[in-house]
Amino acid sequence: MRDNAKQADRRGRGNLWGRHIKSIPEGGYYLTLSCIMGSFFPGTESMIPRVYDLLGVRWGTNPDARSGWTCCTGIAYHGDVMPIEGTLLTVARLWSIAQASGLPVITPVCVTSFGVHLECRDLYEKEPGLKEKIDRLLMDACGRTFEIPKHIIHVSDVFYRYRDVLRNRHFRYTLTEKSTGRPLRVVDHVGCHYSKIFPVQHAIGGAEDCRVLADPVRAWGGEEVDYPERRGCCGMGFRQCMITPNRGATIARTLKKIRSMAPGRPDLIVTNCPGCTTFLDKGQWTIHEVAGESPFIPVLNYVELAGLLLGWDPYETVGIQFHTVPVEPLLEKIGIPFDRSRPRLEGRPYGVGQAPAGPLTAG
Amino acid sequence: MSGDRLPADFDLQSQAFPGDAKPGRSAREDAGLQKPSGANAAWLGRPACPEEYRRLRLCLDSLSDQEILEGYRMLRDEKVPRAEGWYYPNVRILHGTAFEREKDRREQHLWNETHGENEVVRWYREAREKPCAWWIENHLIARHALTSCMSCGVCSSLCPAAEFYDYNPRAIMEIVQEKDEQTLVELLRSDTIWYCYQCASCKAKCPRQNSPFGMLSSLRQLSQLKGYHVHSIRGRQQVAARHLWGGNLWNRACSLYFRNPNPEAHRDFGPRHEKLYKSPEIAFRQVGASPDMPGSLSARKVHPETLQEVRRLWHAGGALFLWQMIDEAAARGAVEDGLTIDEYHDKAKTEG
Repeated sequence: MRDNAKQADRRGRGNLWGRHIKSIPEGGYYLTLSCIMGSFFPGTESMIPRVYDLLGVRWGTNPDARSGWTCCTGIAYHGDVMPIEGTLLTVARLWSIAQASGLPVITPVCVTSFGVHLECRDLYEKEPGLKEKIDRLLMDACGRTFEIPKHIIHVSDVFYRYRDVLRNRHFRYTLTEKSTGRPLRVVDHVGCHYSKIFPVQHAIGGAEDCRVLADPVRAWGGEEVDYPERRGCCGMGFRQCMITPNRGATIARTLKKIRSMAPGRPDLIVTNCPGCTTFLDKGQWTIHEVAGESPFIPVLNYVELAGLLLGWDPYETVGIQFHTVPVEPLLEKIGIPFDRSRPRLEGRPYGVGQAPAGPLTAG
Repeated sequence: MSGDRLPADFDLQSQAFPGDAKPGRSAREDAGLQKPSGANAAWLGRPACPEEYRRLRLCLDSLSDQEILEGYRMLRDEKVPRAEGWYYPNVRILHGTAFEREKDRREQHLWNETHGENEVVRWYREAREKPCAWWIENHLIARHALTSCMSCGVCSSLCPAAEFYDYNPRAIMEIVQEKDEQTLVELLRSDTIWYCYQCASCKAKCPRQNSPFGMLSSLRQLSQLKGYHVHSIRGRQQVAARHLWGGNLWNRACSLYFRNPNPEAHRDFGPRHEKLYKSPEIAFRQVGASPDMPGSLSARKVHPETLQEVRRLWHAGGALFLWQMIDEAAARGAVEDGLTIDEYHDKAKTEG
């Protein structure tokens, strides 16, 4: 009886998992970059092409500066200053450029962009005549044509696909403590617009059991740590974080997330979305100042984590100096060497005691 | 790189895909990025007191459209040579100024006059005059955001905004379904619709595949088109949003410009962030970005032809019409409050 129940459970899990399997092509990636990632963690954008080259996958972006990629308008759309037609046209132009480059797989690095590209495709599928209308407007405005892409995958999906290749062939380090061999305890935050807008079709594992970061963490030697607020929003909220008087709403969410994960004693928070990376990292300083709590859990997105495990320079290539919570203690645990003479390391740990230059509400 | 279908002369390094070598770059050259340019006109300032604001406004009002547009373009495209190309030192001076906002208003007004009205703008202009219930039944996003709601409340139970604000997406979906015009107008005039985080937690869990966050997005557009947003504190903030994200798009083809998170605007980000932003150009160059330079990666200066192309798209997609509605509502609000448009902008940005 018990065996039957176990078998049924396995079948059930298999069926559920089957709903969330998505096709991740092996190459042909057209890379579209991110306003938020580029503004806060520019090293990440520089590393993705290097990782793609290392993997030997076919990828590219348009080399002509006069028809290059632009913002997808995602922040402006969710910030309510861009009508949907403006976003549809901007995204159609990006698809047009990708298709002209012979790179059919759209791979946004930004989670907001990922959601925006998928929302556009979803609208074309639901709304008769929309494709013809946008075709007409796009042709009139800039003389381009486009097709609805078959594949829109996030860059984290590519890393998911190649997680074992990275570990087995390229990594110099693993997510383990050098002195003890202990797997490092890692909490993940996959980003709402990766897993919640189209949870069944486009999030590996769905919204509740999303594996896009957890499986690479395991493959790279770490221990996945669950926490109650794991699927909760980080609080970024577009107009909540970027219009100063609303920022309390953002930090209240961030505080709830951090408090929820802290009892699990994580060594690292690994993230997917550049907005979440920003507020889970920089929000910890605000929490320190406002709530008097000092969790100081290092935050890395999956590209930065891969870059460090590849043995790339933490400062010159990965750009850990862009983080508010110092990453250096994590490097020490893993055994990754870094330049201890760097002036930016002054004031460790974390500049505690250094007051910000003015009130938190300014700006 | 193995992009075998890309042009043979595609040079990763000159296209600012860094990571490997950074040829010809020296610390001395990067240090030069921080030197101020010769741009020192009075109207480039960032006023700190009402008197300065009034003087600035008088100065901007005295300039013709041509002087404003030409002055901006010349400053934006002024460049200094570098070993790897060019650096545009004035972009950082121009961004987010009252001068840039004035230039955008005038340039977009001229753009609308020159390029005329297309089918999208005509649709929005007509929708503006129709009842709110008509919008809910006809706007592309609203129509697909609601199929049949059984008011189960799952959306509210896991909504991060409902946890922080006096906000209930379930109640909003009920109002939307009832389509009572007066109640809808009250909703569009309230702070309530601006509380949503746009995280989509509601969409993921709705058993009927509704999208409350999509409906909120649609209602916010309607509120701005009808000018109802100025009746609430959080709605009025849209004039700041229009110039922050809209200004970045219109002038730099990005929603977020790398200098936006400067420490003055983000003291909550702490001393390490402040330290990094003392010389962001050097920090960004160090990891291979292209701060206010041509390139393909972070913070690059977009080619004017690319900018012109996406501007045409945003005109065709109705963005300029929406921004015009926000501007007109802000201008009325400024007159009512006895403020200049610049003071009104700053008040809206910091109020709440």
